[in-house]
Amino acid sequence: MSKKVLVVDDDPDVRLFNVTVVEENGYTPIEARDGEEGLKLVKSERPDLVILDVLMPRQSGIRLYRELKTDNSLKHIQVILLSGIAKKTFLRSQKALTEFGGESIPEPEIYLEKPVEPEELSAAINQFLG
Amino acid sequence: MEIHKILFVTKFEELWFDAVESLMDLRKASLNHVVFLNVIQREKVALRRGKGYQKSEEVRLREMANIRFINWAETLFERGLEVGAYIVVGSLVKQITTAIEKEGIDLVVVGHEKKGRIERLYSSSEILEIIRRSQTPVLVYKYAPDNTIASNKPFDRPLLATCFSDTDKKAIDYLKNLNQVIKKVTIVNVADPKTLKNGSAMGVQKTRKDIRHKLDELCDIFIAAGIDASPGVYVGNPGKEIVTAAKECNASMVVAGTSSQPSLKEKLVGNTPRFLAEKTGFPTLLIPPVQ
Repeated sequence: MSKKVLVVDDDPDVRLFNVTVVEENGYTPIEARDGEEGLKLVKSERPDLVILDVLMPRQSGIRLYRELKTDNSLKHIQVILLSGIAKKTFLRSQKALTEFGGESIPEPEIYLEKPVEPEELSAAINQFLG
Repeated sequence: MEIHKILFVTKFEELWFDAVESLMDLRKASLNHVVFLNVIQREKVALRRGKGYQKSEEVRLREMANIRFINWAETLFERGLEVGAYIVVGSLVKQITTAIEKEGIDLVVVGHEKKGRIERLYSSSEILEIIRRSQTPVLVYKYAPDNTIASNKPFDRPLLATCFSDTDKKAIDYLKNLNQVIKKVTIVNVADPKTLKNGSAMGVQKTRKDIRHKLDELCDIFIAAGIDASPGVYVGNPGKEIVTAAKECNASMVVAGTSSQPSLKEKLVGNTPRFLAEKTGFPTLLIPPVQ
């Protein structure tokens, strides 16, 4: 059975792009439209990798990333951040949340800024799953 | 009820990031999530003879909104706030009520455009419709003629216009939870001149004293919650007198309840919340009616 990749993005066009790249690399895509739905699917589907947008309705990728990395049963799941939000903003926001009493969490290993080329996303996916 | 999550509705023509900044005082209370909403009006992308649906125009408008929201979101994310955004095509009221339902919004913030008479009437009707449908308070934001923001800290010194209704009790419950943010509340009742016309001087004084006594009781609720409060009795046209009172007490915002069914009186003499929302320079917080 092929490895599962959860694509979390509110933009249907971006989801379609990401899902296509995932499928072309031989993995099974799962889709979520926001962080809240994403977290539910992470818990029920236990994907091997999450491709995560940041600015989304209901729950942002910043919160979902934090939820993943502070949950002992989920923190092993690899995450690729893929967003229009700058990486430095992501890191500063995590720092601010830590200062507000949250747990310190590791930086994402791969942070891609939208838009990405299919080859770039493929390479990132295979870095974790290949 | 606390304000954890606000929905900030903007067309970019009438409401900018400085309005969001001015609401950051609410973080002292419980604000931790801001959701941006841009509704692209159907007319801007609708089917046109010989052109069909303006898909490329929709993409252009979406991306313009997206660029702005990303900038705004970056500022708020870096402060540790949670941020979300919707960019949708459709009817304003429908899209706002949908977003309120999806997100569990505690306060809606909308701008007020300087429009013609008919458009203005329509715009205010939309706001009242949002309140009726969603049961969520709406803050109508204002800009001064020089495009500076009308109030840097709208929740600092609100004026609560009361007619001692159940909706006013709801407004009090809403405001008293903001004791970390509100410095002082002025509670004002505007008496109808007709109720004073046939009375003797003694009768008029008694009416004033009775109203004042009721206002004192409301002030005590705020004082018990740690918010300074003072009463004010005015006589005359409700909308105009509320504005006078707001100026006299240097209010940062006007708070008023709305009714579910406009009464016959409101139809005849005009709707006070609508007047406050569209004709005054003060940010106006409209509280939904008790169902």
